Amino acid sequence: MQNPAIEYDYTVARWFSYLAILFGILGMGIGVWIAFELAFPELNYVGGEYTLFSRLRPIHTNVVAYGFTLSGIWATWYYVGQRVLKVSLAESKFLQGVAKLHFWLYFVTALLAVISLLARYTTSKEYAQFEWPLDILVVIIWVLWGISIFGLIGIRREKTLYISMWYYIATFLGVAMLYLFNNMEVPTYLVTGMGDPLHSVSMYAGTNDAMVQWWFGHNAVAFVFTVPIIAMIYYYLPKESGQPVYSYKLSLLSFWGLMFVYLWAGGHHLIYSTVPDWMQTMGSIFSVILILPSWGSALNMLLTMKGEWHQLKENPLIKFMVLASTFYMLSTLEGPIQSIKSVNALAHFTDWIPGHVHDGTLGWVGFMIIAAIMHMAPRFFKREIYSKKLLEMQFWLQTTGIVLYFSSMWIAGITQGMMWRAVDQYGNLAYSFIDTVTVLHPYYTLRGIGGLFYFIGLFMWAYNFYKTMKASRELEKEPAFASPMAA
Amino acid sequence: MDIKLLQGVMYFGLIVFLTVVLYGYIFHLYRSEKRGERDYEKYGRMALDDELTSTPVEPIEEERKKESP
Amino acid sequence: MFGWLERNPFFFAVGVFLVIAFAGLIEIVPDFAQQSRPVAGAKPYDLLRLAGRQVYIKESCNACHSQLIRPFKIETDRYGMYSLNGEYAYDRPFLWGSKRTGPDLHRVGNYRTSDWHANHMWDPTSVVPGSIMPAYKHLFTNETDLETAYAEALTVKKVFNVPYDKDLDGDGKIDVPLGTFEEAKQRAFQDALKIAEETKRKDLVDMVKAGKIPEVVALIAYMNGLK
Repeated sequence: MQNPAIEYDYTVARWFSYLAILFGILGMGIGVWIAFELAFPELNYVGGEYTLFSRLRPIHTNVVAYGFTLSGIWATWYYVGQRVLKVSLAESKFLQGVAKLHFWLYFVTALLAVISLLARYTTSKEYAQFEWPLDILVVIIWVLWGISIFGLIGIRREKTLYISMWYYIATFLGVAMLYLFNNMEVPTYLVTGMGDPLHSVSMYAGTNDAMVQWWFGHNAVAFVFTVPIIAMIYYYLPKESGQPVYSYKLSLLSFWGLMFVYLWAGGHHLIYSTVPDWMQTMGSIFSVILILPSWGSALNMLLTMKGEWHQLKENPLIKFMVLASTFYMLSTLEGPIQSIKSVNALAHFTDWIPGHVHDGTLGWVGFMIIAAIMHMAPRFFKREIYSKKLLEMQFWLQTTGIVLYFSSMWIAGITQGMMWRAVDQYGNLAYSFIDTVTVLHPYYTLRGIGGLFYFIGLFMWAYNFYKTMKASRELEKEPAFASPMAA
Repeated sequence: MDIKLLQGVMYFGLIVFLTVVLYGYIFHLYRSEKRGERDYEKYGRMALDDELTSTPVEPIEEERKKESP
Repeated sequence: MFGWLERNPFFFAVGVFLVIAFAGLIEIVPDFAQQSRPVAGAKPYDLLRLAGRQVYIKESCNACHSQLIRPFKIETDRYGMYSLNGEYAYDRPFLWGSKRTGPDLHRVGNYRTSDWHANHMWDPTSVVPGSIMPAYKHLFTNETDLETAYAEALTVKKVFNVPYDKDLDGDGKIDVPLGTFEEAKQRAFQDALKIAEETKRKDLVDMVKAGKIPEVVALIAYMNGLK
């Protein structure tokens, strides 16, 4: 602290930001492509067997969840972590090394993961498709991150951990546990000495496997798409607006509330399957209870802006973050509604589910990461943001994209669900399955267009970031609160 | 004993326990602030005054500071 | 107590971990033993079907097709008897899926034939006009990896006691023989030839006769067994 030579070390934060942009474009580009494949099936054959929908879909989900989102999480971690603990990575050569190793190992693993999925290596479990050698790499990456978190905490100057730190720690622990248990598998080559060395077989069978998978699947969403994003907004929104969080006590409470109930909600994926009835009911009830702590965080964020709403008009980054918390409230309301038994009977297996996932991920996760990286850009490069106008345009284009996306998927999902259950006057099914597919064509097209809008917005973001790095006006000192931007 | 029953009891027990803990925590937060033992809202400043040169809200012990280069 | 936790990250971390772990423990573990019990008549997959199942997984068919019939009349009318726990006892991993872009396949073996599948995989719109499913022509030339399928069967037999080479229904006959790789392979080729002939496609028959099982044949064997 006395030594003026020490500064925050943003190297790794910057690297992860580049990756977030890269994987964002890659993952969502594939997403747009496969969205159009559903509307225009001929697109499946453009790249031979490698562009078939079924081949690309796991790549889309994995690149977006584990490429874009994790990069975003780590970019912000290597930035926020130093700042709220008031200690620089540069003060420990060891932690600096761990951070760099963390980055490179992650980058290599991510590339191997994409290649292995293209080459049909998959365990078929959603969001846990990687085969066992990749799982081992993932575990090592995770341990490196753990060393980085607890190492930095060990040399901190600020005694109390800020609320964002709590959320980062929870992310670390939650994903570690979930990932380990869900990926328990036996490599067949090691047992028999024959066949493909990369192949493995799940430790769990049938219904058990499904229970572990959806316990994982739901909570992976919690600990990758919710918890660390809350960590971000608790730092970036107050910092960008210059307002301390509305109620720190409420933030502590909603943290514990979230931790207590989230794990119970996994059961709602299993409604009307073969798991015991009481578990299904409890899954539904706890999903509904889940609204309260989740909304505690979101309301806390909105109330932080109390008396400062004019900033919403002036600062596009505030726009991104306020809309993100609004989408967070929307999808945490929508989720519990879908888990009500009678609604689920209609919605399960339909396009309403991807619709729900995307208003959460595009609106909440995507917008928060975009805002966080743009907030960091002037600090990384000591330059102002290249264009406010471009940021505004990106905001409106992407918001339109999200609205198109979820409204078309709501209609598609409910239409399909209703057609599946429609019967004629004698009680016979009114529609064959293919009728319920062809009817979706306009909605699939509309969804693709919505996705395309969002995707174009990503390029505007990348361009703005690049120009900020290279060509923007230089700043004399690091800005304190609102990020300076050229008109 | 039936495993189902055990599961139900454990489930119920955990819920009661968690509810008590959460409400106990709310109570703790407001009581210690009322008594003037702690001021939680000051921690909100941590995100705002986060330069290496700004004074920590609650500095860690003095001896640690001397050790660091 | 709470103030102390707030300032001790280690114990705080332990606290978080216990809370999230305990919930999972109660939710999942107790039902494990019960749900892994197979229903009467459930049998492990023979070699060709297991290989076909691996093809199903490799191509991520479960991205668009479920294998879970819910207990509603509209579902049983469309797909057949609703699914039971014990039917999945030998499914590693489970393949319930989460999205029906295409129809459920849990009992597809009851109402589709080998030649229907072959036509469908070659050109879906030829049998289902308006279908948005892509053709999987590469499955007609790719060779099935029987060795990996055998490795999987042997692994589950050794590690999880899956009843290969056992008499399950007490009629004095072995229900699903596995034996050595050579024996299993021979049976797989007999099954494959039968299916290839059912598809009425000469290229498939020729390929099996030439000592190569096309992936689509294994996949059809798997789907025919879904009943």
